[in-house]
Amino acid sequence: MAIFNLPFWTYVGVIAGIYTIFALGLYVQDALTGLPNFGHVAFMALAAYGMAILIIRLNVPLPIAATGGVLAAVGFGLLLGIPSLRLRADYLAIVTVAGSEMVRYLALNLQDLTGGALGSIGMLGPSNLAQYNTDWDNFLSPITATLTRLLGSGIANRDFTMLLIVWLLTLVLMLLLWVMVRSPWGRVLRSIRENEAAAEAVGKNVFGYKLQVLVLGAILGAIAGLLLAWEIGVFSPDDYQPTVTFYAYLILILGGTTRLWAVPVGAVLFGILYSGTRFLNFFPLSLIDSGDRAYLRLLIVGFLLIVLMAVRPQGLLGNRKELLIQ
Amino acid sequence: MTTDHILQVRGVSKSFDGIRAVNEASFEVERGSITGLIGPNGAGKTTMFNLVSGFLRPNRGTILFDGQRIDGRAGHVIARAGLVRTFQIPRVLTRLTVLENMMLAAKHQPGETFGAALLMPGRVAKRERQVREQAIRLLELIRLTRLANDYAGTLSGGQRKLLEFGRALMTEPRMVLLDEPMAGVNPALALQLLEHILELRASEGTTFCVIEHDMEAVMAISDRIVVMDEGTVIAVGLPEEIQKNERVIDAYLGRSGEEPEPGSRLQVES
Repeated sequence: MAIFNLPFWTYVGVIAGIYTIFALGLYVQDALTGLPNFGHVAFMALAAYGMAILIIRLNVPLPIAATGGVLAAVGFGLLLGIPSLRLRADYLAIVTVAGSEMVRYLALNLQDLTGGALGSIGMLGPSNLAQYNTDWDNFLSPITATLTRLLGSGIANRDFTMLLIVWLLTLVLMLLLWVMVRSPWGRVLRSIRENEAAAEAVGKNVFGYKLQVLVLGAILGAIAGLLLAWEIGVFSPDDYQPTVTFYAYLILILGGTTRLWAVPVGAVLFGILYSGTRFLNFFPLSLIDSGDRAYLRLLIVGFLLIVLMAVRPQGLLGNRKELLIQ
Repeated sequence: MTTDHILQVRGVSKSFDGIRAVNEASFEVERGSITGLIGPNGAGKTTMFNLVSGFLRPNRGTILFDGQRIDGRAGHVIARAGLVRTFQIPRVLTRLTVLENMMLAAKHQPGETFGAALLMPGRVAKRERQVREQAIRLLELIRLTRLANDYAGTLSGGQRKLLEFGRALMTEPRMVLLDEPMAGVNPALALQLLEHILELRASEGTTFCVIEHDMEAVMAISDRIVVMDEGTVIAVGLPEEIQKNERVIDAYLGRSGEEPEPGSRLQVES
């Protein structure tokens, strides 16, 4: 594949946008409020499964199914959060990663409901391919047709329409968060991150705020999960490995954890690093067969991250002064 | 004569894994008074503050603030009711600026709820301006104006004590629990702090309860002294009475013929 391949980079852009929304959930929970969540991917999984099950099994219209998916994620967040939010941060980290693995294993083993290892296409049994994406594609195609008339088929395609929708939504969500982070509400969240007892001592309902943050993070993770499911058109339990959560953490670290606008920068950079290493197919790397090169890519991504952290520990846009405060 | 008690602690006990940190302690704090809470290390003073401020639940006993039971209530509920505490080791919000530390503590900011922050920017901004003015006034009082826009994490130990004192006052409290407010603050500034306490009591009628190891200061400023030892209140009285009280002197100097067993006292000072 050539490096200047517009459809390919359009796809990378869509994924970067989806990952931005996904990482925004972690930004609110961890960077802003100090609640680590190593199971963020569970929100993604629950929203996708909730939406697909409602459409495939119950023929529910898409908007209601999407809402159902988001509610499933929020419900799971509350189920996990209410008993564990009073725990110290390190325990919360363990609870969340265990919770997300439980979701994945349930999806793998409740075959009759989820399609098991086959994922969404197996939801109606192995002999009957299931499809949840018809309504979404029907929604996209007139937009794509209009864009094709305006821009020509060289640029416009299904992924290009997704790119616009995803980044428009990202922009709206970021503006919303930008207002909230700068508000007194955001100040309370930062105070909880810095010292819970101090926030409680000046009359802030710490537990209540943590619950709000958990729900907000769940909604953002769920939106990302829906968009990813719609973009790809099929999913399976394997798509919701804990690594996905760590990619989101990577995005936060790359951009700089303390700044909202660093999240999309981190996501795009991550997309370029992760997908761009695909083009490392020249000599002498071409001596290695392509399957092994795939692992080499991950190795290179890891190496570049170590270099970045050594040179710019605050991330690309982070605030070094803030980092140095004990 | 009936006295008006803003705080009543009645038969309060608290154990940690079988160790009685506070044992059947009772005392009252008069409205508008400055009450010193003293006692040797490990006497249970800080545990008592934690119980009164809702950071710990008592195993037994009742605590009344302004006639209302507050034992077992959440810390933020008690703080909002007007009973605010500081910490022995100051807990400033290090990656917030000094001004933000102060502004956080203000009451009645509608912008602290999600909906209002999003939908009523005008009202939020208006209250925010009032809060900012109030914070700046108090920062002048505690002499931290110059550092208003610095991260609180850059402050020295003494400055952090002052910031925490100021932050407590930002909540417009009716009663303040100060845990060693003068420890680590330079003597000149400590003196000013005492003056502020006296001033506030005079102008706002604020009640103070102060844990302090500086005997000279605590005797000078307090109307009444409550002495704790081994988890219980052993004496209550005027400063000059307390200074002559045999039990108090014993508690501080160690009982004759009775060495305390090593490890028998719980360190609650944290």
